[in-house]
Amino acid sequence: MLSRSSFGRQAQRALQRQCRAQPANRRGLAAPASGSFNYDTGDASGIKYASRDMSGPTTTLALVSKAGTRYQYLPGLTEGLEKYAYRGTERRSALRIVREAELLGAELQTTHSRESLIVGAKFLRDDLPYFVELLAEVATKTKYLPHVYHEEVMPLIALAHKKFLASTKEMALSSVHGLAFHRGLGTPLYPSSSTPYTKYLDADTIEEFASAAYAKGNFAIVANGAEHSDLSKWVGEFFTDVPSSGGQSLQSPQTKYYGGEERIAHGSGNTMVLAFPGSSSYTGGFYKPEIAVLAALLGGESSIKWSSGFSLLSKAASKNPGVSVKTKSAIYSDAGLLYVIIHGSAKQVAGTAQEVVKTIKSIAGGEISKEDIMKARALAKFKELEHGQTIMGSLELTGAGLVQGGKPYQLDETAKAIDGVTEDQVKKTAKSLLDYRASVSSVGDLFQLPFAEELGLKV
Amino acid sequence: MSQPSLSGFIIRRPWLRRWLQPMANWYADASGYRKLGLKADDLIPEESETVLLALKRLPPKEAYDRVFRMRRAFQLSLSHQLLPKHEQMKPEEDTPYLTPLIQEIEAELKEREDLEAMVVKKKPAKPAA
Repeated sequence: MLSRSSFGRQAQRALQRQCRAQPANRRGLAAPASGSFNYDTGDASGIKYASRDMSGPTTTLALVSKAGTRYQYLPGLTEGLEKYAYRGTERRSALRIVREAELLGAELQTTHSRESLIVGAKFLRDDLPYFVELLAEVATKTKYLPHVYHEEVMPLIALAHKKFLASTKEMALSSVHGLAFHRGLGTPLYPSSSTPYTKYLDADTIEEFASAAYAKGNFAIVANGAEHSDLSKWVGEFFTDVPSSGGQSLQSPQTKYYGGEERIAHGSGNTMVLAFPGSSSYTGGFYKPEIAVLAALLGGESSIKWSSGFSLLSKAASKNPGVSVKTKSAIYSDAGLLYVIIHGSAKQVAGTAQEVVKTIKSIAGGEISKEDIMKARALAKFKELEHGQTIMGSLELTGAGLVQGGKPYQLDETAKAIDGVTEDQVKKTAKSLLDYRASVSSVGDLFQLPFAEELGLKV
Repeated sequence: MSQPSLSGFIIRRPWLRRWLQPMANWYADASGYRKLGLKADDLIPEESETVLLALKRLPPKEAYDRVFRMRRAFQLSLSHQLLPKHEQMKPEEDTPYLTPLIQEIEAELKEREDLEAMVVKKKPAKPAA
């Protein structure tokens, strides 16, 4: 057995040696490493692309199109177009696409958000040309056949609809966006009724939407882990017959904030969302870094294990164990939404909602320590940088930035902006939030869930 | 569910086609389905998965017309009558509307079987640069 004193001395010596071994100019972990963080951008005869060469054997490639639910001119178009991706093209069938991707060890994925439609693939680095060609085929040569719509696409849309109806969280979020922004950004993210596929959608309407979504200037190619010169070569080679403009233009007017209250009865689960006007993206003209700090300050989710966390809302929620609270600043190109989502049993959701409003009012009243704001600022900066570093997050941000503003997302600058937020700004923003009409949506047991009026919010 | 046929072989050889076409025309007419107002594709047996799927893929108008022709033929057959001459199916209207769909589905199935039977070989390793 080692005696305690001798072990201690050894440990101390080892520690000293370790410290000496480090060069004096070693970069601390907290300093931002921005060299490979940003994307290189380019333009191949009107098609924007961006890449970032992260060392590693795999590549993630995505086509980010400005065809999110915000820009669809009939309900369900985005969903329909998403489900049509990788179906059959003029050159190969859906089955062949899937089998070939499987043989190359790749993964195909499609998603959409309120502003973008993302058609992507993850694969081994050497297969870049194959997948650039595949994306070009999806964009320009997909066959929008009626039987594919009836046999494959429509059942998937119907499933998305059912999934949406089963989730109180999704319903509440969709409802709160509708209250806050009405049309445009307020369009539900997933089909909220069966009208899209019973009334509006068929293969022809989706094809027309596709011709706009995959027209020059409406989409960008973003790669993570590919050499920029390679990507530019292959994009130039394969994306040659992209139409310069589609049938209908994808437009959405400048978003305006409205606010209001909506209550939806639901049998399984209880969710309340309290939302306030937030911050647009950095390039959007309504950028407010204070909102990100305020979101981190309210928090709700724990960033460490086995603890409910130390943010204001997690402390408030600890009185109602089992309830989950989360604050998020949803950022869109020209507007944003700061929302608190509360999910749990009806009674606890009602109790927590009271606490949340109390907390926001206390911040607005200035009853908040400087230390808490400092902590929130660090967390907000970390979350921002971390989100930009994850591959899928950064792909979407970069693609959307290229398509909407012509610039990739400026991660370093947003991080810097968050660093510059002062205590007063946060308090002032919290106060100004309460001046607006809030958007409050309750889904679940309406007998227990409170009205916004009862919470003391203005709607 | 397309039947084995020599038509491809014959069509590729114009001299043979010239020789056989009148005989084919006579045969199609003599088989009598046109006198009941049917098209050749209406006679394809429905009892197979492929044809059922092809029928589902028919555009609504085509599907409606097909049912109409069949019901009319059924009535005629029950009452032991033929259509008046001007209502009978004309040879130029007797076009294949279902066969292309069936062929497409058969091609899909064949592709699937080919892919199932595929032997995967590993790419040779790149020579070290």
